[in-house]
Amino acid sequence: MAENETVSGSDKENDDQRARKALSEAGLVEIRLEEFAQRIRDVKSLIMVRLRELIDIGNNIKERESAAYSLGTLKVLELKLLAQDSQRSDSPES
Amino acid sequence: MNLLAKQIRAEANWPPEKGEAVSFTSSTSSAVLNPPETAVLKEVRWGLVWRDFVLEDGRVIPEHRVAGCPQPQAWRNVSEVTEAERQECEERLVSMAGAGMDPRKRDQPFWTDLNQYLAYTYLRFKQTGNGHPDAE
Repeated sequence: MAENETVSGSDKENDDQRARKALSEAGLVEIRLEEFAQRIRDVKSLIMVRLRELIDIGNNIKERESAAYSLGTLKVLELKLLAQDSQRSDSPES
Repeated sequence: MNLLAKQIRAEANWPPEKGEAVSFTSSTSSAVLNPPETAVLKEVRWGLVWRDFVLEDGRVIPEHRVAGCPQPQAWRNVSEVTEAERQECEERLVSMAGAGMDPRKRDQPFWTDLNQYLAYTYLRFKQTGNGHPDAE
């Protein structure tokens, strides 16, 4: 029992370490202000890859819908950032 | 052993309570350029991945930037986040964007929520896309 707990605790630590490493490498732990648009595009690309996989598999409609919704959310945010950038560059102060 | 005792004591007193003063770095960049700041803690709350410290002045600081935070910080597993919680975050983000807020204002709620959402979404699809058990 104790051994199982240790293994389970160790698995959790390994999962955490993997997650931290993955996020750190992807530049997603604390996103630099000037990199938001690019990070949104990176995550959108990842979702699209997964969405294609799900469509190919042909099942798991719930995950497909959820992925599509996440993609839509990120698209809205990306467009908003682009609009703000465009307003800034049009502004006489810039 | 001494180090372990210190670590256990620090973790036992963590996180600080509402009303306590907390020190934090204002940015992940150089501590020389950005010396620690101190502010009063209003609330500690879980985001989709890590804990955020909400300050009385309205700023939101991720736990890993708060002084005294046990290492490594506690993070949530992607599978712990409920569908309702994720949808709530998505609605909040769209609503903040619709209200004309800019996520590129550091330590503000929009910046914090978007950081956590991108981190969570990345982990979620990175894992499922690589043969993670949730993928089935």
